[in-house]
Amino acid sequence: MSIDPRETIAAREDDRARPLRSQLLHINMGPQHPATHGVLRLFVTTDGEVVSRVVPYIGYLHRCAEKIAEGNTYHQYVLYTDRMDYLAAMNQNWTYCLAVESLMRAAGMEVEIPEYAEYVRVIIGELNRIASHLISFGTYGLDIGAFTPFLHAIREREAILNVFEKVCGARLMYTYYDVGGVKWDIPPAAMDEIKLFVELFPKKLDEYNTLLTNNEIFIGRTANVGVISPEDAVGYGCSGPVLRGSGVDWDLRRDEPYSIYDRFDWKPAVGTGEMGTVGDCWDRYKVRMDEMAESTRIVQQCLDQMPATGEVMAEMPKILKIPPSEIFFRAEAPKGELAFYIVSDGGNIPFRCKTRSPSLHNLGVIEKVGRGLMISDLVATVGSLDLVLGEIDR
Amino acid sequence: MKLAKDIYKTLASIVKGMAITIRYLFRKPVTQQFPDERWSLPERFRGFVHNDVPRCTACLLCAKACPVDCIYIELEGKGKDRKMSRYAIDYNKCIWCSLCTEPCPTNCITMSHDYDHSVYMRQRLVYEYVDEPVVPYKPPKKSKADEGDTPEAKEA
Amino acid sequence: MEALLQTLQGIGWMQSWPEWMLLATAALTVATGILAIVAVAVMAFSLAERKVAGFMQSRYGPMYVGGWHGILQPIADGIKFLLKEDIAPVNADQALWRAAPVVVFTGAFLSFVVLPFGPSFVGAKLDVGLFYTFATSSLVVIGIIMAGWGSANKWSLYGAMRGASQVISYEIPLAISVLPVVIATGTLNLGVITEAQAGWIWRWHVFHPLLLASFLVYLVAALAEVNRIPFDLPESESELVAGYHTEYTGMKFAFFMLGEYADMFAVSAIAVTVFLGGYHSGVPVVDKVVPAPLIFLTKSVLMVFVMMWLRWTLPRLRVDQLMNVCWRVLLPIILGILLLYGLLKTIH
Repeated sequence: MSIDPRETIAAREDDRARPLRSQLLHINMGPQHPATHGVLRLFVTTDGEVVSRVVPYIGYLHRCAEKIAEGNTYHQYVLYTDRMDYLAAMNQNWTYCLAVESLMRAAGMEVEIPEYAEYVRVIIGELNRIASHLISFGTYGLDIGAFTPFLHAIREREAILNVFEKVCGARLMYTYYDVGGVKWDIPPAAMDEIKLFVELFPKKLDEYNTLLTNNEIFIGRTANVGVISPEDAVGYGCSGPVLRGSGVDWDLRRDEPYSIYDRFDWKPAVGTGEMGTVGDCWDRYKVRMDEMAESTRIVQQCLDQMPATGEVMAEMPKILKIPPSEIFFRAEAPKGELAFYIVSDGGNIPFRCKTRSPSLHNLGVIEKVGRGLMISDLVATVGSLDLVLGEIDR
Repeated sequence: MKLAKDIYKTLASIVKGMAITIRYLFRKPVTQQFPDERWSLPERFRGFVHNDVPRCTACLLCAKACPVDCIYIELEGKGKDRKMSRYAIDYNKCIWCSLCTEPCPTNCITMSHDYDHSVYMRQRLVYEYVDEPVVPYKPPKKSKADEGDTPEAKEA
Repeated sequence: MEALLQTLQGIGWMQSWPEWMLLATAALTVATGILAIVAVAVMAFSLAERKVAGFMQSRYGPMYVGGWHGILQPIADGIKFLLKEDIAPVNADQALWRAAPVVVFTGAFLSFVVLPFGPSFVGAKLDVGLFYTFATSSLVVIGIIMAGWGSANKWSLYGAMRGASQVISYEIPLAISVLPVVIATGTLNLGVITEAQAGWIWRWHVFHPLLLASFLVYLVAALAEVNRIPFDLPESESELVAGYHTEYTGMKFAFFMLGEYADMFAVSAIAVTVFLGGYHSGVPVVDKVVPAPLIFLTKSVLMVFVMMWLRWTLPRLRVDQLMNVCWRVLLPIILGILLLYGLLKTIH
């Protein structure tokens, strides 16, 4: 790919401004790179090892999901939301179904989700949050150079994926949620596995903390690195662990509760600058580890509180036609604030369905934070943002 | 002596980490030796689609439900001579979402437990379920005694 | 090699040969023997690394080739490397680029010639043996720079520059950390250093408290010399794709891998010789029964295992932290140890 001419002119100006006869190095952390979590191209201008400018190029994974939405029914589009953030597919499904249900309520249709279905939704959603954070923990270890925690994270994730396989038959692209509830009930074997997982997982978290979180070399690589100030985080539209890692106490599950989150006793994890500055990579990483513990607690409370059995799907018309209306609905996905803006025109196909993906806005902050880091720090910072390219490019 | 404390903390954290890995060295691995050992698939596993052609009413609901249009159904004849001449599923396009299994009135289309179909040519992945034109199934008229035969009652 | 030379002079039909021919034959035999040992050991290490990594990560590692736990996997890898297409970048500096793997492997391989595998099982009994090993293992950094610059690839250049600065810096604590042992035994001859640790296990150099500290410093510096985690920035797989050996395929890449494992083996063997008793097993009864080279190899393999264990546990250091550790932590410590030990020896 040839370099953008504006890039070259600006770069030449940078070169001329330097008093010494050394040149800036333009390198591509290209679309294929082990550390950019997908097909992301970072055009990096460095002076030796210190980065002076980072420009992200996206679009390598664009699959026209939003245009496809204008050709599929509300019921059929759920599986496209699966493929956006493929690591946390259940949460994407859930947010989309909640958005369509809000749209129906805004358009005047009555929709009442059965209570049992709500509990099932929360259990599966929180389990997928744990799975997504496990991947982010594992791949972050890989970026920093520790190879073993990745495989331990995958091993725990296998337990969760086995549960999902028993529940809906697939291990990654679930299409489990549906407008009005979930498609199938959780079979008893899966319920036992969930109980076992909730029991065993806190011990594994302790192991991860010993292996990686409290390792001095890891702390040396991530503390005081890539500090995002709270003003920057809010200004660039970051959300999720990136925002909470900078000390801003904002979690949509508590501040704008949807579903039945107001029934549980939990608190969001916020970065406190324990090992360095507030908002460094270690804080964001710790927020994700704490969120895994909190999610386990929420699942435990769900298992205690939920009714023994019930309906999993509300009464929905066979062909779902929604009167003209529009809605912007947001929910807390593992990566941040996921939102859908749906416009209906009275038919059974949405007129417009736009996704606001958290990773895209989290990526924007790298332009400000990337300056002055070294290349190893840049890799650590990009890893701590927990990007998923499927979500950024859709 | 900050340096001494730092060195001690670093060495301690390294040794604790090494203790964990050495423990795992002597534990049994959790992986399976595929293809010698196979995973026991759960009941709801979404493998390749299976169509029980004798029970198919050729209502085309599965083809309409499919989001990627991978089910090809061709009908010929009119009225009493109506025959289904082609029922094919194109697995190059199929995404195993099981949306086709939901609207089927006779539950003839199900997700099987097959997953091991590799081919050398892409065209071989278009599976034809009908060799010669067949008469679509005509379900008997529903009476009170047949209530237990409907798909909804089966799922409950 | 002296013993081999005498044996050759004893053989009837070789007695008419001139002196230099006998010398050449002996030297060639020794070199081939060491190459054989090193090559087999390195192949075994490549499999061992993958199995150790596998079991530490709750999986099996290679299982398929050779029937039992992938025992023939290194041979399959070797055949694969030989059959790969040899791609040379057009912009690469051809002479530098092609010579680099050879230089790396040679630098690692040359240090084996003075290592005492057994009482008379030495390639050459040099009086400056220890000095010689450190001198020849410095050739590796030249190979790294040649590879990085000659590749005409910015990522390789990054890796090479990091590698050069790292290896050159860590040679200083590495060399100084064996000086207390030199003071203890009064010689640089590796055979004499090993003999000074004969007998029971507490006579090993590592059990003296100050020498234990210098052993730890040696271990850290040795990890940096061979570019292993936590110091593997030059070839950091997740940042720089593959660092200075990105542009190499086939047998040239295999040479880099062989060079790295050979270097690991060499450094472990030096540690075993200098600190851990060499070919003495620490129990005199066992010394008479088990052949000395076996003991030496077992101990070296254990040291290599410790290096692998560290690799699969720890993350890697950043380049400025790495330099920090060398110049501001290791160097003062090892100089302090040297001073203290020197004083101790003068007082006694």
